[in-house]
Amino acid sequence: MRTWKDRMRHSTRGLGFVALVLIVAAIFGALEPRFLSYVSLNGIARHMAANGLAALGLTFVVIVRKFDLSIAGVAAFCAMSMGALIAAGWPLWSVILAGLALGAVIGGISGIAISRFGLPDIVTTIAVGSIGTGLAFIYTGGRSIFQNFFTSGITDLNDAKLMGLGVSMWLLVAIYALAWFVLSRTRTGLAFYATGENPMAAHFSGIATRRFVALAYVLCAMCTVLAVLLILAESGTAETNKGANLMMPAYAGVFLGAAIMGGTSVIASFGGILLITMLLDGFALMGLPYYYSDGVVSLILLIGVLAFSDGARGTLEALRFLFWPQKPTAKGSDA
Amino acid sequence: MTMTSTVKFAQSRPRGRKIARLTTDLWLVVAVIVVTLGIASQRPQLLDAVNIATVLKSFSIMVVMVLGLTWVIASGKIDVSFMQVAALSNMICAYALAQGWSWGGAIVVALLAGALVGLINGWLVASMRLPALIVTISTAGICASIAAALGKGTVIRIADPGPLEPLLQPALGGAVPMIVVPVLLIAAVAWFVQERLSFGRYIYALGQNEAAVRAVGVPVVKLTVILFVLSGVSSALAGILLASSLSSGQPMIGGPFLINGLTVVLLGGMMVRVGKPNILGTLTATLFIGVLFSGATLLGLPDFQRQIIQGGLLLTGLIVATIAASHHGARTAGQ
Repeated sequence: MRTWKDRMRHSTRGLGFVALVLIVAAIFGALEPRFLSYVSLNGIARHMAANGLAALGLTFVVIVRKFDLSIAGVAAFCAMSMGALIAAGWPLWSVILAGLALGAVIGGISGIAISRFGLPDIVTTIAVGSIGTGLAFIYTGGRSIFQNFFTSGITDLNDAKLMGLGVSMWLLVAIYALAWFVLSRTRTGLAFYATGENPMAAHFSGIATRRFVALAYVLCAMCTVLAVLLILAESGTAETNKGANLMMPAYAGVFLGAAIMGGTSVIASFGGILLITMLLDGFALMGLPYYYSDGVVSLILLIGVLAFSDGARGTLEALRFLFWPQKPTAKGSDA
Repeated sequence: MTMTSTVKFAQSRPRGRKIARLTTDLWLVVAVIVVTLGIASQRPQLLDAVNIATVLKSFSIMVVMVLGLTWVIASGKIDVSFMQVAALSNMICAYALAQGWSWGGAIVVALLAGALVGLINGWLVASMRLPALIVTISTAGICASIAAALGKGTVIRIADPGPLEPLLQPALGGAVPMIVVPVLLIAAVAWFVQERLSFGRYIYALGQNEAAVRAVGVPVVKLTVILFVLSGVSSALAGILLASSLSSGQPMIGGPFLINGLTVVLLGGMMVRVGKPNILGTLTATLFIGVLFSGATLLGLPDFQRQIIQGGLLLTGLIVATIAASHHGARTAGQ
C-alpha cells in the first residue's frame, strides 16, 4: 500500500509539473502574444495528439525496459500503406483497421525477435525500421499519394470538432485514459511493470514476461500507426518522410516526463509530451528555423534526464553537505 | 579468448575445431570474394579501375567513421551519435574554410569538436550513469541541428580542395587511392591495441561484466570516457574526409550512415570473434557492404531496395550472432 507520504511526494511532483507547464506557457505568452491565441492552442492540441500517441506507444516499451527505434520506419511504411489503400478507394474505417493490423504485425516481428529469440532491442528495431523505411517506397517509388484523400473523410480527423476540442484530441484523451486504466489499475498493467523491474522475479511469479515484452512492441507500433494517421489527416497526403519527426519528441516526452514524475507512467508521458509540444510550437511560432527543432528537443531531453538523475542528486547532496554540514540529510536517502 | 570462435564443432576432434575456426574466421572474406565475382560476372564494370577506386575511397571513409564505434559496441554500450558527429565536423570544416581559415585550422577545430562530443557522451554515460542510447540520441540531435545551423540549412561549398584531396584521388595504377594506406595503418594499430594490450582486454571484459571489471580495479569511468572520445574523434575525422571528398559541407549527410555503420560493426562482429565487434571484422564487413552497394548501383537497383537489403543483412547478422552466443553460453555452462 502507498503511504500518505508517497502520495504527498507524488502529488508534489505533479503540482511541480503543472507549475512548469504554466511557467512555460506564461513565458511564451509574454514573448509572443499569439502563442495563447485560440488558433495556436488548437495547433498545439493537434500536434500533441500525434506526438502523444507515439509517446504512449513508447511508454509501454520503456516500461518493460526496452527501446524502440523503429518508430520512424513503421510510421513511414504504414503511412504509405494506408495512403495506397485510401487511393484504392477503401472506406476509411477499413483503412485504419488495415493500418493497425500492419503495425501490429511489424511490432510483433520486432517483439518476438527480441523477447523470444533474445536479439538486442536497439539494433533489431533499427534494422526493422530501416526495412520499413525502404518498404515505404514500394507503392509509388517515393512519390506522394493524395488521391481520394479529401473524399475519404480522413481530413475530418483533423478538422472536426467536438465540444470545442478537435476530434484528434478526444482520441488522444480516450486512448490515454484507457492506457492509464490498464497500466495503473489492472493486473495486466502490474505485469508490464513487473517485467521491466525484474524479469526473473516476474517470471517466477507466473508472469509470461516474453509475452508482455512482445505485446509492448505490438502496442507501440499500433500507437505509431494512429499517430501517423493523424499526420496524414493534417497534411492530406501520404509521403515517405511522414513520421520522421515523431521519434525525437516521443523519446523526449517519455523520458522528460519520467524524470520529472520520478518514474515512467502514462500520466508522466502525457505531461512530458504536453511540455515538449508546447516548446516545439512556441519556438516555431517565434520564428526559430526548422533545423533547430531537433536540437532543442534533444537539449531539453538531455537537461531533463540529467537534472533528475541519481548522479545529479548526489552532486546536490554533496554541495549541501559542503555548505550545511550539520543539517541531517533525510530527504536524499529515500529518493 | 580464441575459444569463442568455435561454435558448431565444439564437441568434435581438434581437427574439426581447426576447420570450424577457419570457417568462422574467414566466412565473411569468402562472402566478399563470392559477391565480387558474382556481380562482376553480370557487370564487368565492377572491376574497372575507376569503380575500384570509388569503392576503396568510400571504404576508407567508412572504416574511419566506425573504428571508434566498433569498440564502443564491443564494450557493451551504444553510440548512435557518430554519424551526426561526422556531419558536424564536415560542416565545421566547410564553415571554417568559408570564413577564410586554413585547412590545418579547420581540421583541428573539427577534430576538437568530435572529441568534445565524445567527452560529453562519455561523461554522461560513465560518470552520470545515464542510458547510453538516450544520451547519444540527444547529442546526435544537437549535433545535427548545429551542423544545419552553420550552413543555415543548406550546403556550404569548399573552393580550395585542400591537402587531403590528392590522398582521395586514384593512384597506384589508377585503382587505389592513397588514403587506403594510412587508414589501414590506423586499423592495424587499433588491431594491435585490441589484441595485444590490456586496454583491448578491458574493452571486451567491460562488455561481459562491467561490475567485475570495476571490482578488479580497472578505472571503468575513465575507460568508457576514452572509448566515447575515440568514437567522436574517429567520426570527426571521417567528416573531414567527406568534406574534402565532396568539396562541400553537407548538413544532412549523417542520416544514412547510422544504419550503414551499425550494419558494418555488427556484421563484422560475426567473424574472428563471433558475437563481438572487432576491428578486422569491421574492415571486412565494410568492404563487403561497399562491394555489394557498388554492385547494386551497377545492377540498377533503386536506393530503397538497398535499404531493405541492408536492414535484412543487419537482422541476419544479429540472428547469427545471437545463436552463436547462446551456443557458446550453453557450451561453457554445460562443461
